[in-house]
Amino acid sequence: MRAFEFVTAKDSNHAVALLAQHSVSAKVRIVAGGTDMMADLKFAPASHCPDLVVDISRAEDLKNIAVTEKGLSIGALVTHNQIMRSPLIRDMFPALVDAAHTIGAVQTRNLGTLGGNLVTGVPSMDSGPTLVALEAIASIAGPGGRREVPLSEFWLGPRKTILKPDELLAEIIIPKQNLNKPTHFLKFGLRKGQALALVNVAASFRVGSVSADGFHGSTTAEWDKDIFVAPRIALGAVAPKVVRALKAEAFLEGKAVTPENMAEAGQVAVTDCKPISDFRASAEYRKDLVAILTRRALEGAYELAKAKR
Amino acid sequence: MVTVTLTVNGEKRTASVPPETTLLRMLRDNLSLTGAKLGCDVGDCGACTVIVDGRPVNSCLMLAAQADGRTVLTIEGLATADRLHPLQKAFENYGSLQCGFCGPGVLMSAKALLDENPNPTVPEIRDALGGNLCRCTGYSKMIEAIQVAARTLRGEPAEKTA
Repeated sequence: MRAFEFVTAKDSNHAVALLAQHSVSAKVRIVAGGTDMMADLKFAPASHCPDLVVDISRAEDLKNIAVTEKGLSIGALVTHNQIMRSPLIRDMFPALVDAAHTIGAVQTRNLGTLGGNLVTGVPSMDSGPTLVALEAIASIAGPGGRREVPLSEFWLGPRKTILKPDELLAEIIIPKQNLNKPTHFLKFGLRKGQALALVNVAASFRVGSVSADGFHGSTTAEWDKDIFVAPRIALGAVAPKVVRALKAEAFLEGKAVTPENMAEAGQVAVTDCKPISDFRASAEYRKDLVAILTRRALEGAYELAKAKR
Repeated sequence: MVTVTLTVNGEKRTASVPPETTLLRMLRDNLSLTGAKLGCDVGDCGACTVIVDGRPVNSCLMLAAQADGRTVLTIEGLATADRLHPLQKAFENYGSLQCGFCGPGVLMSAKALLDENPNPTVPEIRDALGGNLCRCTGYSKMIEAIQVAARTLRGEPAEKTA
């Protein structure tokens, strides 16, 4: 690894001040858990290496998980392991726990942070889909204070975000109206451990009920009662960034919660993505996965909705 | 240079290292603790696993400076002068290692698991070893030994009687 200068930020304000001070004249990189940065720098050409590394791993103000007036706030430095252990998250969003559990292995989950996973911005990231389906907001700290952007607009492409050199991702907020929204996450990789997603999917919706006369022709009595309200589907590893399956969502809105509609939504979701073929899987295979995982994620969210009734 | 002070295996140790030094390099090159191994160097193989503030981590992915002030347990801190740790004893009895290169990492992962969960299920053991690659053993004998060590640490007979 090429030599660099190193400075530790005491908290997020200090980190922002350090970035403001150094990012004009030097190539600066922020390190949090280090799991992506260290692996990257060991093989990077010298031109890609930072002059200065700002360590934010001791910024305690970025490590909180709490419900605020805005919604559920998760600090950018919360590790994947902390997400898995948080009673609050386990209760509200088991999908976030499932997603965290599929990242790397125990050792990397103890180091790696939610913010780091999002900022690295690889399209197959496992933290992205659930948060995008829950319409999460990225709270960004910069010299002028905080600014908030929808997480879905945080990425510009693979490994590219809207962060300016003097900014850092501080916090992820799941908006109030989506608290406890039944959500399910699924990942398909080539192995159970330490594998990147070929496709990952999160589905989220609330269950509404139809008026007494009903307006659809499903045959199963129990399914007759429920309709999709605010369905949200997010797909990972099948586009340059995590994407919403907007056509599939529009297809489901207001429709009866039936196995047929879930399967159809999966087919529609295929038209919402543009997977590539690479050494892990062909585009065709990824499309098949999108259809099936979307259906299963919808089924999982519905199971959760029923369990929470 | 950065000055890094760690509590390693119960002892305060300080070294002055270049900022880009990983915790693994510092342990091996500056503190002569060569139990943790340099394998893949990118967090895949787990041979470098050590326990920092109670949690197993890849020491190849952590900068030494990030570990300043923290408590580190390495494989060297597992046994006492006259006695192997029950995990080490069980690994020996069950022939759980062959070449042994992954061993220090596997044992630290197992130690962290049992510290937190004294009675793990087989799926929980498998999950705890998910970040430790072993190309010799096929893991079965490690899982057996971890179960035996867990029983010993719980004060139960090492062998199942039923």
